[in-house]
Order: sequence, then C-alpha cells, then structure tokens
Amino acid sequence: MAAVQTDQVTLTINGQSVTVPKGTLILDAAKKIGIDIPIFCSHPKMAPVAVCRMCLVEVEKLPKLQPACAVYVADGMVVKTTTEQVGKYQKDVLGFLLINHPLDCPICDKGGECPLQDQTYQYGPGASRFDFPKAHFDKSVPLSDKILLDRERCILCWRCTRFSEEISGERELALIQRGTNTIIGTFNDEPAQSNYQGNWTEICPVGALTSRQYRFISRPWDLDRTASICPACSMGCNIQIDARSNRIGRFQSRENVAVDDSWLCDRGRFSFPNFQRQGQERPRVRRNGSLEEVSYEEAIAFTADALKHAGGQVAGWASPADTNEELFLFSRLFREVLKSAHLDHRSGVVADAEPDDIALPIADIERCDQVVVLGGQGVIDAAPVLHLRLFKSERKGVKILKVGVTEGKRALDAIPAEAQAIGILATEADKQAAVDLQAKLAKKVKGSVRRLIVTTGPNGRGAKDLGILPHQGPGYASLNGRAGRGRLQWPGAGVKGLYVHESSPLHGFVPSDAESMWLSTLPLVVFHRFKASPLDEVAHVILPGHAFTEKYGTVTNMEGRVQRIRRGIDAEWVREDWRVLQQVANALGASWAYESVEEITGDLVRELPPYAAVNQEARVLWSEST
Amino acid sequence: MAIKPLVTKDFATENLVQLKVYERTGGYTGYKKALEMQPDALVEEVKKSGLRGRGGAGFPTGNKWSFLPKGVYPRYLVCNADESEPGTFKDRYLIEKSPHQVLEGILIASYAIGCNLAFIYIRGEYLPQHDALETAIAEAREAGYIGKNVFGKGYDIDVILHRGAGAYICGEETALLTSLEGYRGEPRLKPPFPAIKGLYGKPTVVNNVETVVNLPHIVNNGADWFKSIGTPTGAGTRVWCMSGHVNRPGNYEVENGTPIRELIEEHGGGVWKNRKLKAFQPGGASMMVLLPEHLDVGLDFDAIAKAGSLAGAGAMVVMDETTCMVDAARRYVKFFHHESCGKCTPCREGTFWMANIFDAMEAGEAKPADIDLLLEIGYGIDGRSFCPLGDASTWFPRSVIKFFRDEFQQHIAEKGCPFKKQPQEAVA
Ligand SMILES: Cc1cc2nc3c(=O)[nH]c(=O)nc-3n(C[C@H](O)[C@H](O)[C@H](O)COP(=O)(O)O)c2cc1C
Ligand code: SF4
Ligand code: SF4
Ligand code: SF4
Ligand code: FES
Repeated sequence: MAAVQTDQVTLTINGQSVTVPKGTLILDAAKKIGIDIPIFCSHPKMAPVAVCRMCLVEVEKLPKLQPACAVYVADGMVVKTTTEQVGKYQKDVLGFLLINHPLDCPICDKGGECPLQDQTYQYGPGASRFDFPKAHFDKSVPLSDKILLDRERCILCWRCTRFSEEISGERELALIQRGTNTIIGTFNDEPAQSNYQGNWTEICPVGALTSRQYRFISRPWDLDRTASICPACSMGCNIQIDARSNRIGRFQSRENVAVDDSWLCDRGRFSFPNFQRQGQERPRVRRNGSLEEVSYEEAIAFTADALKHAGGQVAGWASPADTNEELFLFSRLFREVLKSAHLDHRSGVVADAEPDDIALPIADIERCDQVVVLGGQGVIDAAPVLHLRLFKSERKGVKILKVGVTEGKRALDAIPAEAQAIGILATEADKQAAVDLQAKLAKKVKGSVRRLIVTTGPNGRGAKDLGILPHQGPGYASLNGRAGRGRLQWPGAGVKGLYVHESSPLHGFVPSDAESMWLSTLPLVVFHRFKASPLDEVAHVILPGHAFTEKYGTVTNMEGRVQRIRRGIDAEWVREDWRVLQQVANALGASWAYESVEEITGDLVRELPPYAAVNQEARVLWSEST
Repeated sequence: MAIKPLVTKDFATENLVQLKVYERTGGYTGYKKALEMQPDALVEEVKKSGLRGRGGAGFPTGNKWSFLPKGVYPRYLVCNADESEPGTFKDRYLIEKSPHQVLEGILIASYAIGCNLAFIYIRGEYLPQHDALETAIAEAREAGYIGKNVFGKGYDIDVILHRGAGAYICGEETALLTSLEGYRGEPRLKPPFPAIKGLYGKPTVVNNVETVVNLPHIVNNGADWFKSIGTPTGAGTRVWCMSGHVNRPGNYEVENGTPIRELIEEHGGGVWKNRKLKAFQPGGASMMVLLPEHLDVGLDFDAIAKAGSLAGAGAMVVMDETTCMVDAARRYVKFFHHESCGKCTPCREGTFWMANIFDAMEAGEAKPADIDLLLEIGYGIDGRSFCPLGDASTWFPRSVIKFFRDEFQQHIAEKGCPFKKQPQEAVA
C-alpha cells in the first residue's frame, strides 16, 4: 500500500471511502465515485457561490445540511447524500424553485436538455402545493441581436453573471433589484456587446438565456450531434454540430481544456449559417461563354485537359479552411503532377512561417508570468477565445501587457529581468515585430521567451506545415531555387491558369481589384468550391465540393494541434473533394489509389512524420525546441 | 435585581454629545488608559471580562478579536450601526445620546486589534445620528483622539462614517462588508470568515454599537468588575428596546439576568390600557414568541434561549390580549420577504410563499392544510438558507403556530380575522 500522503484526504460518502486531494469540494469527491449530487449554480469553471441550495447534503457532526458545491473535504468526513432528510429537502428546494417558474416547457428551447426539468423528474416533488398567482416578469427580452432573456424562467443561479465577471471579465450582466424581484439585465438595458454571449445559453441551467438563431429550431432529441472544429479562426475551438433534418441548427461547445477551455466566441458559434446548403448543384463547364451543367466525369476530364494545356504555368490557391488531407493532395497535384511551384493559401503579405511560431502552446499562456499581446485587440479579434484564456491567466496572476504593434518597447521596458516565462502573441501579419521583440526580451531576461503566432483560418497552420506556399515544401523544406510565385505576383507572372479550392465562405478566395482584372483575362479558372461566389462569373469549370461542416479530415490550429473535423451534414450527391483531386491527378497521368481519407492521412504522416500527432489530436512537435 | 445603568449612566447629562461635556463625565479616559496598554493585554482583558457581542449572536468579543491572523495588515474594525430589525432602536439611542462614547469604544477596539482605519456603517435612515457621529468624529480629530501618532504613542487611526442605503440584510456582517465595498448588499460565503478575509479581503472585526460602548467602562474599571455585573455567562447590562403594548415604550438599560417581568412591569409600566399580556417577543423580529408563563425568565442570552427564544438584538415587543397573533406573524413574514436579498432559493421563494399564505389567512381564503404547509415551508427554509435572515424568517411564525394554532384555525373557519371585530391596535 502506498504511504499516506499529507496532501490527500480520505472521506466516506454514502458509506463508500474515497481519497482525493486536499481542497477538493464534496461535490467533486462524490463525482469521482459516481455519486450524483444535483446542482444548479455550481459550475466547474467558476468559484462556488452556493446560492441555489440544490446540493445540500448531510455531513456528520454538522447540525445543518451543507452545500456540497462549496464545502471542501476533510479527513474522516462522513457525507450522506441520500438520507431521508436530504431527499425531503431536495423536494422542498425544487418546489421552491418551481413556485415562480412558468413551466412553459412545451414552448421552451431548453426543454429536453434542461437541468431544472431533469432534476425535477429525478428529485422533485410530484405536484406543487403552491396555489397562488406566480410572480410575473418580462419574457423574450432581447439582450442583444443574439440572445433572448426570459426572466420568468430564470432561477437566479448567477452562472451568467459570474461568467460575465469571472470568465469574460466584461461584467455586462448583473443582478438588478432584490428578493423575488431580482432580475438579470444589462446596465440601463443597453444591448449586450460581448463576443461571448453564446456561452450564456449553454451555462444557463434553464431556458432563460436562449439563442435567437436557434429559437424554435429543434428539440434536443431531434438533433444529430457531430463532434468537429470551429470553422471561423485558427484557434481550433472544439464544437459540436447540432443538425436537424440535415440542416445545421447550432454549434455548441465541446470542451477541450488545452484549446477552448469549454468556451466559444460568438463569431465562431454563430457562423454556421455560412455553411447552410441552399440546394443541390451539379458541376458546370463554360462552353461558348456560358456555364453548362455536366457530370463530374465530364468536368474532371475538361479540367485535366485544360490544365495540361496550361502546363507548368498554372497556379493553385487552396484555402486555409481546407483539410490537411486535401492540402496534401493539392500540393502533390501541383508539385508532382503539374510540375508547378505556384502554390499559395494566403491572401496578403505575411512573414515566413517557421516551427518557432508555435513554441508557446495556448494552455501555457496560463503558466507564463508575463504575456505580451502585441497588437492588442487586433490579436483578440483574430482568435477571440484567446481573450478568455488571457483573462483566466490574468486572474491567476499572469501579467498581461496589451500593446500596439509599434509599442514593443513599452513591453520590453515593463518586463523585469527576473521574469521566468514570457509569452508573446501576435497575428501572422505582425510576426516580424514579434520576432524582434522576442530577440530583445531574450537578451534582457533570465527566463524563457516563447511566441505564438495567430494564423488565418481553421487550418492556416496546416497549410504552412504542408507547404501550400511558393517557396517552402512540406515541413518548411526550402525549395532551393525551385520556388514558384506567390499569389500577389501571379497577375504579372505569365500564369496561364488558376485552380482555386475552398470549402468555407469565411476563408475563400476574394479577388483584389488587380486580381479581378487579371482573372477576367485568364484562359483558365478552375473553381472547386462549396458555395457560389463572384469567382463563379470568371470560372471555366465549377466543381461543387463539400463544406467544412460536411467533410471528414484533419485541421491544424494555430498552436499546431491536429484535430479532426467530421461530417455534420450529409451532402452525398457532392463528390468528396479529395476524390475529385485524385481523379484530376489520375486523368493527368498519376496513379493515386486512395480509397479513404484515412489512407491519405497515413501517407501524409509517412511523408511528414511529426504529423503522427494526429493520432492523439496533439500538437505537432517539429523538434525538441517546440 | 437592582438597576445598574452602565453605558447609559450619564445620559441625563445635558449636552453630552459635546466633546467637552463627554470628557467631563470621564469620557476618553478609557481610550487614554488603553493606549498605555499593550494591544494584546487589552484583548486579554476584554476576553476576561466576558463581554459578548450585542449585535445578535452574542459571540464573545475578545475571542472574536483574537481570531485575526497574526502579522496580516492592514486590518479593519467595522462598527455595525445598521440596526434595521423591526423592534430594535437601542443603537440609535446610544449614538444620539452619546456619540463620543461610541467613538471611544471604536478607538479602543481599533487599538486592541491593530487597526489604523475604522469604519462605521450606519443605517441610511439614521440621518440625525449620522450627523451626530460626524460632528463627534470632527471634534475627536480636532482634539487629537483621531489622527496620526495619537498622543505621541505612535498609533495612527482614522474613522470613516458610511451610510447604508436601507436594506436590512446589510446588517449581516458579510453583506455589510460587501455593501461597504460598493457592491450589492448580499452576504458572502463563509469561510473565509471576516476575521480572515473581510473588508477588501483583509482581516476584519465587525462589532455592534452596543458592544463597543461597553469597552471604555471595561478598560476603566477592569474585567473583574465587569464580570461581576450580570450573569455568569452574560456579563454586564443590555439596553432593551421596548415597544408595543406597554405604557412606557423606550430604551431601558438593565443588568443581565433581570427578570423580564421587571422590565415590562416596572420600566415599561406594564401592559397598556389595563389589558392583559398575551405574548411578548424578545430579541427582535426574528425571535420566537414567549408567553406570560415566561415572565420570570431572566434577561440573559442563555436563559432566554432555554425558554425557547433568543435575546438577539435586545428588542422587547409586548403584545396585549387584543393582538391577532396571525396578523403579527403575517407582518413579520412580509418584512422578511421584502428584505430577502434574493440570493438563495429557500429564503427568496419560501418567504414569498409564506407571505402569500398569510395574506390568504388574513383575507379568509386559507385552507386547513395551510397551517401545516407553513410549518413545512419553514422546515425547508430554516437551516437551508444561505444566511440567518432566511432561517430567522421562519422562527416567529412557527412559534406562533406552536402556541396559537387555534387562532389560525379560527381564521380559516371564520373566513377572516376574528380580532377584526374588536378595535385593532398596531403591533410593533
Ligand atoms: C439579517 C441580519 C441582520 C443583522 N443586522 C445587524 C445589525 O443591524 N446590527 C448589528 O450589530 N448586527 C446585526 N447582525 C449581526 C451581525 O451579522 C454581526 O453578528 C454583528 O454585527 C457582530 O457584532 P457583535 O459581535 O458585536 O455582536 C445581523 C445579522 C443578520 C443575519
Ligand atoms: S439567466 Fe440563466 S444563468 Fe443567468 S441567473 Fe438566470 S438561470 Fe442562471
Ligand atoms: S476563437 Fe476562433 S475557433 Fe474559437 S470559437 Fe471563436 S472563431 Fe471559433
Ligand atoms: S437567506 Fe438567502 S435570500 Fe435570504 S437574505 Fe440571506 S442570502 Fe439573501
Ligand atoms: S449547486 Fe450548491 S448551492 Fe447551488
């Protein structure tokens, strides 16, 4: 038997002995041995407040029932959660919560996934003995263009106000009035501004805070739920695609403590309408100036033929929202089959990427003592959930310095030489400034200085790792004189054809003015995409592809974590993008024989061994240093 | 027992509110003497005196002081002058009669615990009392009792006077601190207790007005002298705020242990209008009702607790034979419902429910089952609430059901209040 450790305590819950670290709440100790204690106000990410009084349990030697969510375990403690007293009290407190609850479950979006409903069934009284008029409050109060508040359904658990205070730090929601008149609201009823409001709907244990987009869309039991990744930025927050009858109803969070810590931003959460499919569509080719519907076979043959004519003078742009598997094939199509090095995934000028850009993992921000956010709000805007991690870190004592891109000196002066661990965050557009600051800080301080560069798109990092760049191959391999031209040079580089692949309207190919002129003169534009865009008008071939939410594959977030996206919506009449890419390559003489995405992933890992990280959904480690 | 005014002994002195007059009655000698002592010795002296808090819970004052963690500064003393419980008005009296005595007590307590900044949190409605304290603080500052390096003893002290905004809950010490910090007045989770993490997260002692006014006398006369007054577990005197159906309502300071009968009959001049005593409530709106059979119980924490009620904040509400006990309970329940801060479910919803039932009783719409339902609601609130406000909301009504169930049954059977037929007098 292991020696008794002083930081462990052993207690008994319902006769079962359990050993947990000191500082564990009774609630969590019980959970550890599978004992469920009903809760409303308690939330694993927030400090205990013990306001709802749902979780009261018996603790031997204490005269009163104790809140399991707020009382810490002690050695030798004897807890009972299923006694007659507790059971009777649970009926009492649920009865109290229900006397002023409208019980409009049949028209409530929360119905079916509502802790109040569930716990009333499990622990509550069979019937109410309250026969007075209920207190009435405003219903369907718009808190913003995203959220509705039903003040009658609110059970005043303080989760939303605590989120606003402890998680986002914006203090936008507050308790107003007191007693039975207490309501939740914003200052002067002004619309809420937060970019994290969607989280309120998930933490609210009743249907008081609901999403306007999801209003009356579905019943929870009618939803098909698919684990995937947020398509909106390079943070890589884990989501669940909830679809009803093959249409997306909402994105919900899916906790990954290393990435999102269980939260989403509103930009990501409410981005799903971009991925709704309008209807069925067939491939089209341009003949005599107008687009004609054809079969995939015909369109692929047409594409291969046209690409052959363009020879090595064809450029390829693949979106930073493509999967690694698609990018792997795209790069092989260009480098091996078409012998063209004109590859890009970018939309503007950015400094070269390198493995050091991911030296600071997202979760390590909490373990730094100083973090410089170079570019301030601009960095947050590029990956909004970063703000929540930064605020959490700040509450733990990490010093967060938000400075403008040109104000690196201010950060340099502010950071003491004794600092142990410093982090720098910047967007890829400002990478050079971050590198410069890092060098200066490394000279000044004793400790480590690491940076994390926010990229663009849910797979901007993967696109760089896989070499969707004119001058770098997979794994940041230098092309030594065999470099091609990047997107900005294409209009003047004698390019004879362009292949654009994209599957997200959020990260599509948006032509600049100069590019628009050039595109209209190009003899070949192949547009392999999910949704129609102005590029359709200049395209010679339109190859319908799957949306980000309709396919299977992997994407790499800004810190190099390879995560899986899955098919939340079934669009089986659309040919998988990888299959089309393979068929184009084979029509040009290649002999690829992939039968599945997994086989492509396998090849990818063989070519780029650090990508074995995909098996653990872990971060790619390029060398010991990262 | 003999009447031994202690904290009110000089209250007949004209212009006692003025510093010069207060000094002439011996004022501030306790403070000066305290400053000659080591703070720890002062704490020991107060511990030895047996002084118990007069704010409601009767917690030994010296012990409370000694809970402050060693070496953690700054630390604060907060004098609780929120006094908002129906039936209580002793702190108001102590302040308006002798604001300097309150201040002197605060200064002694501050010195004892090593506090350099003390606060007085005064009920918002107590405007004249606020002004009296404000003047007293200015005078004391002028005279050098408050300030830097007081009397060259190297002790710095300042006092800040803060008005509440009219919520009963802000008398509860943690809600008071929260309110003092500028937030909504709601109680905080304990632990940590204020002694460890109080005002602005620093070690804090909260003491009632009447508690601190005893300090100058303890310092001047010694712990043994103080201990000799009152009962073994209830040293000293208490100022009882007597109201209701007595001939002479008002504040009366009596030695602890004095029989309740003496307070009501001798000091209060007995029940008014030659009526008979029906019931009385010691302690304040929270406390359980007692009956004429309890008249010989001594005015003392432990004796009253043994009789089934609590001495609480030292109120004595007298009810004559014409009082409708259901209506009395209804008023208190409505008070608690109104004052419930709403933080926790049992108190917020339970007081709302009880208030509804009591209104139905009054309106003659209650059902026989409602009496036991009230008891059950009370059971669901008491001991389950976040703070004692919720618990206490159930004590008076439940005790009334215990002793006067027949009045509830009458309300139900007669579809209304049986006392309405008689001329009605105000209660409390
Ligand atoms: C609802 C509620 C209201 C209270 N109001 C007061 C008050 O007005 N004045 C007061 O001194 N104590 C009040 N108390 C008691 C305080 O919490 C605290 O115990 C007291 O101020 C401590 O002082 P003492 O140790 O000197 O008695 C109240 C307690 C509760 C639960
Ligand atoms: S709105 Fe929801 S989360 Fe907020 S306090 Fe009410 S019940 Fe809790
Ligand atoms: S931070 Fe980025 S990945 Fe996360 S939810 Fe927002 S948009 Fe999506
Ligand atoms: S018992 Fe609960 S609702 Fe009532 S005053 Fe205390 S904290 Fe507020
Ligand atoms: S969950 Fe414990 S009091 Fe709310």
